[in-house]
Amino acid sequence: MSSDNEDTTSSSESEGADSVKENATLEFIENLSDVPMGRLPSNIEFQRTRVDCKADAPIHTDTFQYSGAYSSMRVENSFLDNFCDNFRVEVIRLTEDEMEFDMIGIDPALANAFRRILISEVPTMAIEKVLIANNTSVIQDEVLAHRLGLIPIKADPRLFEYAENNTASEKNTIVFKLHVCCERSGQRLSVKSKELIWLPNGSEFPLESQDSKTGSSSKPKTYTSFTCSQDSLPEFSSNPIAPALGDILIARLGPGQEIELEAHAVKGIGKTHSKWSPVTPVWYKMLPEIVLLEDIEDQQAEKLVAICPVKVFDIEDIGKAGKKRATVARPRACTLCRECIREGKGWENAISLQRKKDHFIFTIESSGVFPPEVLVTEAVKILEEKCDRVISDLS
Amino acid sequence: MEHGSLSDPSQSTFSLIDEDHTYANAIRFTLNQDPRTKFCGYSIPHPSDNRVNIRVQTTGAAAKEVFKDASQDLMVVCQHVRSTFDKAVVDFRMSKSVNGMDIDSNN
Amino acid sequence: MDPQPEPVYYICGDCGMEIPLKPNDVIQCRECGYRILYKKRTRRIVQYEAR
Repeated sequence: MSSDNEDTTSSSESEGADSVKENATLEFIENLSDVPMGRLPSNIEFQRTRVDCKADAPIHTDTFQYSGAYSSMRVENSFLDNFCDNFRVEVIRLTEDEMEFDMIGIDPALANAFRRILISEVPTMAIEKVLIANNTSVIQDEVLAHRLGLIPIKADPRLFEYAENNTASEKNTIVFKLHVCCERSGQRLSVKSKELIWLPNGSEFPLESQDSKTGSSSKPKTYTSFTCSQDSLPEFSSNPIAPALGDILIARLGPGQEIELEAHAVKGIGKTHSKWSPVTPVWYKMLPEIVLLEDIEDQQAEKLVAICPVKVFDIEDIGKAGKKRATVARPRACTLCRECIREGKGWENAISLQRKKDHFIFTIESSGVFPPEVLVTEAVKILEEKCDRVISDLS
Repeated sequence: MEHGSLSDPSQSTFSLIDEDHTYANAIRFTLNQDPRTKFCGYSIPHPSDNRVNIRVQTTGAAAKEVFKDASQDLMVVCQHVRSTFDKAVVDFRMSKSVNGMDIDSNN
Repeated sequence: MDPQPEPVYYICGDCGMEIPLKPNDVIQCRECGYRILYKKRTRRIVQYEAR
């Protein structure tokens, strides 16, 4: 390269004129026709934006976040300047329970932050205290309580507060009752989650108090102190609170066995216990790009199409005399099993498995508490709140 | 959440309580994007302690200001993500209902 | 002192019948004569954490 000659001549100059010479050198280099200033050369652009998944391990997995990373090439590595223009979201599939969408133009640090928040920091309601009055079934008390805790409850946690220190009121607790009895003469009974009945007026079990007066006051003290019925709140009068799914099996009862209990649900986050996690689960992957570096024809093409377990490749007939060529039909389905490059070096040089570093395919399965699009909005709001907290702490 | 700083205001370590990789990695990313940052990184001293240390060294500006600006940038990014996502969901729903209506009208 | 006419019910190990017993009674099921009787579960409300 001509630049090497320039460097050796500049080093032989006197010290005082060195900086001037270097500037002139730099300008000379920049003006050369084959040095693309303002844009990165294609191999560096590849390193910056794609992960290359080789047969043994992926390479170029880091992201180049430092703003001055390419300043010597006069290329701004600024993500935030162009973020608002470049960022896109495309929804692929949206049902009541599941959602698949693409986030394009975002960094893995942020995508991971959203994933972590969705799993562990979006609050929901779940059963925390179980008061068992009678349990003659074969399921032990604590096992029964554990199972009840894992049932997702369809109640909007934004309408509730966190419960602190045994003050169970209508603003922070939801009370359910379960009273099932299997008749002596009857068949075995399966207790499903739809038998959990919501008590909008609070607990019905009286508190045991040592100093109870015989002529007791009008309302006996219970385990919760509801000042008004939750039914009276407009949000709940039309949508009664219930478990998200009615056919979750809680226990099985034989003849003569009985379960009588009350369950109190409170607000919490997945970090404390995974029963409060609203997703089942959420994951993302980077957009796969599969490039055929060489033409793969005929028998090899057939082999390639057969070997891929998710049918990424397809055969394309090229006009003359039945010659076939392999093409990439469904790159999105690629799971990186690497079956296509496992055979040998020849395959590895012909097929390049790449991932785009800033294009994420998110899949969210909700447990029923929130619809999935609301979950994403809540998660982003929580990250905003974290930033807000830091800013206000620092001011 | 506290911050520990030395006599030099352009370098300091911020110690955040009740935070973990979720927030720290995201803020480290936005800090790196700021041209005033010379160095930034985070570490979690012990996984049982709910604490993360974020180190910021700048080219001259007060580290606290750069950190605050980075948090602000992150907030703006989040708001943009939220609005783009909401719009995309609405567009998707509309296009689905339009498709449904088209099929109906064809029948 | 515990008043005498307050029988406690026990469950027979064999036939599952509830048999009331008073202090100084013979420990035997009235129906099948099985001599192992189990105490009933407490009526107190027990609280568990669903974790």
